[in-house]
Amino acid sequence: MGFYHYLSFGIILFSIGVVGFIIRNNTVVLLMSVELMLNSVNLIFVAFSRYLHGTEGQVYVFITMAIAAAEVAVGLAIVISIYRLFGTLDISKIKLLKG
Amino acid sequence: MIEQAVFWILGAIMVAGALGVILMPNTINSVMSLLLSMLSLAGFYILMGAHVVALFQIIVYVGAVLVLFLYVIMLLNLKEKGLKLPMEASTWAIGGMSLGLVFVVAWLFWQSLRETVFTGDAGTTDAPATIHQLAIDLFSQHLLIFELTSVLLLVAVIGAIIISKK
Repeated sequence: MGFYHYLSFGIILFSIGVVGFIIRNNTVVLLMSVELMLNSVNLIFVAFSRYLHGTEGQVYVFITMAIAAAEVAVGLAIVISIYRLFGTLDISKIKLLKG
Repeated sequence: MIEQAVFWILGAIMVAGALGVILMPNTINSVMSLLLSMLSLAGFYILMGAHVVALFQIIVYVGAVLVLFLYVIMLLNLKEKGLKLPMEASTWAIGGMSLGLVFVVAWLFWQSLRETVFTGDAGTTDAPATIHQLAIDLFSQHLLIFELTSVLLLVAVIGAIIISKK
């Protein structure tokens, strides 16, 4: 399979992540959409690494995975404290900044 | 031939899983769809010869990140009644606009890559990078980034404990 096949799948995955981030109200699903986007970037990195015959792409994928793990840990901690504070995870009901 | 069949099957599973993440009403089902998507992504990495990345994908995402998601969902005992999508026109307008933006960027990317010739099929022509080359690259050229990442992980762990503390 050619490079463009993998690139297309990366773009499709990223688009689904973007749409999910905009249309869903649940904070946990929002975090999962961010994970989808990070994974699509990983896929494109690995595809470049494969077709340019280098190792940098795979090294960056490791870094991205570490960042994603850190992001999920902090994000879910924030989700837990949001749930304690508001009793809901619906972001349309969390409007402390609305005045 | 077999490689192509595996590629398209994995791709279909991956897209279906990703759609399931954003369309399933129940959060647990979303996590399970994400699991499906991540596993087929690991299959993609194996098809491209990046076995180490596939292994880490399974260990880090399936073994750690998704389990964390499941634990939080169980801890909060989330019960959602049906898929509730926002009804405001502005949300849908922003969604459409950002999707359009993604496709514009993708198209520009595509145009800039058109001149480049990527030869060979993954896994059949010259050998992909081995774990040996990868380790030498990671621990010589990218050593500083590697160490900084470990510091970042430590900070994230401490931050998560402090934020979720009562």
